[in-house]
Amino acid sequence: MNKKQKNITELICAVVSILTFLILWHIGVKGELGRLMPGPLPVIRMFFATLFGGTIGSRTMIIHILYSLIRVMAGYFLGAAVGVVLGLSMGWSRLVEAVFSPLFRIIRPIPPIAWIPISIIWIGLGEDAKIFLIFLASFCYVTLNAWSGAKNVDPDYLRAARMLGAGKRQLLFTIVLPASIPSIFAGLQVALSSCWATVLAAEMVRSSEGLGWIIIAGMNNNDMVQIMTGILAIGLVGMLLSMIFRKVEARLCQWNKSGS
Amino acid sequence: MSVEQKRKLITCTNIDKSFKVPEGIHQVVSDFSLEARENEFICLFGPGQCGKTTLINLIAGFELPDQGSILVAGKPVTSPGPERGVVFQNISLFPWLTVMGNVEYGLKMAGVPKKERQERAQKYIDLVGLQGFEHAYPVKLSGGMRQRVGIARAYCIEPKVMLMDEPFGALDAQTRYLMQEELQRIWQTEKRTVIFVTNNIEEAIYLADRIIVLSNCPATVKKEYVIGLPRPRQYTSPEFLALRKEIQQ
Ligand SMILES: Nc1ncnc2c1ncn2[C@@H]1O[C@H](COP(=O)(O)OP(=O)(O)OP(=O)(O)O)[C@@H](O)[C@H]1O
Ligand SMILES: [Mg+2]
Repeated sequence: MNKKQKNITELICAVVSILTFLILWHIGVKGELGRLMPGPLPVIRMFFATLFGGTIGSRTMIIHILYSLIRVMAGYFLGAAVGVVLGLSMGWSRLVEAVFSPLFRIIRPIPPIAWIPISIIWIGLGEDAKIFLIFLASFCYVTLNAWSGAKNVDPDYLRAARMLGAGKRQLLFTIVLPASIPSIFAGLQVALSSCWATVLAAEMVRSSEGLGWIIIAGMNNNDMVQIMTGILAIGLVGMLLSMIFRKVEARLCQWNKSGS
Repeated sequence: MSVEQKRKLITCTNIDKSFKVPEGIHQVVSDFSLEARENEFICLFGPGQCGKTTLINLIAGFELPDQGSILVAGKPVTSPGPERGVVFQNISLFPWLTVMGNVEYGLKMAGVPKKERQERAQKYIDLVGLQGFEHAYPVKLSGGMRQRVGIARAYCIEPKVMLMDEPFGALDAQTRYLMQEELQRIWQTEKRTVIFVTNNIEEAIYLADRIIVLSNCPATVKKEYVIGLPRPRQYTSPEFLALRKEIQQ
């Protein structure tokens, strides 16, 4: 089977499996269950009706999505940048490691959402507090992975580079950093889904827009269709994010793949 | 400096080296001495785990001896230096760089401008027969090709001394013969002083001007053979076989 045929087969399978799921859902809510749960059609209809045109609350779906995405991206990239720098420094320098690792070991096991109450009391869970929570989610995973990546660089790479005349700075930027990239990317991937979960939690607790708000507002109005529409949007955006992530990774870690 | 001293490029005198291990102290090199003249091809021939890599690490400057001295081109070795190129036992190419990126790495670190360093790197890529693979990543290359890159990478900083640690140890028999011929061709085109570690006697006789036979751990010089056969040598010639028999005893 060549690659094109294989792709077509996979596409057919995906379409069939999603359609089957939707049909089962549609049939399933025909009876008693229908009172608790809307069918797929109203949910899909609401999703597209509110996407650019109609509104949920006072905003269209796409604006809600953008609110959540911008919060995630701000915290995610900030956390990733700080995490890469701190993690690599900890892996590279014994002193930096000795100073930061005890602190880090305590902060790391605390899930970001555990900070929500404090944030509310201190600063009221506004934009900066939400971004800070997402920052924490991203920062912890990325730091941890950059740290272990830098610590586990093959000592022979360092020897080879020293033999070829690299100085200390050059070792850090031309050996330790690239050698840690696969590990950093593993951290970035976990961080992304953790950030996505955190933004929803933060929006559910306090917010007047965003995907987390949609489902909480749906609950308050007892509007099952709105809740399900929110969940659908969360799934779709999450899927899109990890697809984009994998594309970027495949590009930057090309050298790490023996296949294709 | 007399002419005689000048021609001695490497001088190791009575080196000892041991490592601290949980069980105590593990002596790996004992009273090892060696002199290598300019452009001489020396094979260190010794059994597995006898301390061959440790000897290379000492001359390369990755490790320091406990006792004794190592001089390369008249200067004591205290750290790695550009006059000593190393080809590693496990190759250790930088997997995130292409063939060109690996070969030009040393020149890049030295701040050679891009155009010039790529021209110089290309010369060595051609020398090892890898033209056309400049932009390939190491994962895509076969074992033999990877080690060609390893040789080009070390050659490209134009060292006086090449230290080669069982470069062909992981190759299949046929590729290994081919790489021995290739290395001889490369060395005859670009003469260097070579310290070549091997545990394969045929390889040693094929390549060496002089074979130093090492003892079991701790490594020390057991015997020395000057190989005067004309090059290229035939693995099956009577002289080759006789030498092989003599050394293997
Ligand atoms: N840094 C180190 N610390 C402790 N022991 C070491 C160290 N380096 C080498 N050794 C020990 O020294 C001995 C010789 O090692 P070395 O790698 O030099 O041998 P070798 O002849 O190159 O082996 P091989 O044939 O596997 O390449 C081994 O027993 C090894 O475990
Ligand atoms: Mg070895």
